[in-house]
Amino acid sequence: MNFIVTRPEHDMTTKYLSAWAGEIIGLAEIKKIRVIDLRRVKANQNDLIGRIKKLDPKLIFLNGHGSDDCISGHDNKILIKVGYNHQILQKRITYALSCNSGKILGQKVTEDNTSTYIGYSDEFIFVGDSNYITRPLEDPKAEPFKESSNQLMVSLLKGNSAKEASERSKDKFKDNIRKLTSSLADINSLQIAQCLWWDMRHQVCLGNIEAKL
Amino acid sequence: MEKENNKENFLADEEVRKLVIARLKVLSPDTIISLGSEGGFSRDELVKDVEEGNKVGEKLAEVQMEWLRSFKENITV
Repeated sequence: MNFIVTRPEHDMTTKYLSAWAGEIIGLAEIKKIRVIDLRRVKANQNDLIGRIKKLDPKLIFLNGHGSDDCISGHDNKILIKVGYNHQILQKRITYALSCNSGKILGQKVTEDNTSTYIGYSDEFIFVGDSNYITRPLEDPKAEPFKESSNQLMVSLLKGNSAKEASERSKDKFKDNIRKLTSSLADINSLQIAQCLWWDMRHQVCLGNIEAKL
Repeated sequence: MEKENNKENFLADEEVRKLVIARLKVLSPDTIISLGSEGGFSRDELVKDVEEGNKVGEKLAEVQMEWLRSFKENITV
């Protein structure tokens, strides 16, 4: 089995998402799953489309900025766009850790009822700490966002269905929200909980939700 | 971040604006909030965005209001 991951790293947001995805790559390697890691400038349309056509992966993990109808790669160059190349994601499971693409792109990709698209129907918001910008994995404020999002990929790689993976991710969001709201000793806890709540509410699992690896 | 025409203009309400600013001001100064393609913003930048009522400020207000609505709707986690 193999999967493709895109990891642009051109600003604070993409550097955080890339670092989080690095943990998933590590987990996949332990499980002897081959990962095609399109990182930094490799996160471009030509490389992505070429690899999908060549390897026909069942799972695609897209990290980066997005809008209603597209997902971008390094330097915000478009990777996948509705009406241009969105069909390349069909008959696969896609998890898009990006803003808004669950709204239109995800709907279009899953029109064929054989495809699965998990993403966010509005902004994916997270909280971080300026003292950890160069060390995202050590950032305690960002940790619950990483945990909750990564749970989705962890579940998929364990063989759970897309529906189960999304539910487990949402359960992790809830766990973190509960922890933060039950102990408001940290002055930032409420804001972090609010953003987690927002992300959880906007995570969508579309199309063939019973699909699994 | 595209703003839709049918989105509510939360910050037009002075009370909401004050509430969002008050919530932001209690954050530690090293806190950053990443708002998608708009980028990452410090606490002080966010306070300014809310005061100006721009789209970043509106998004923060929307997050805050959705959180408060969840209590009104008795949605539990």
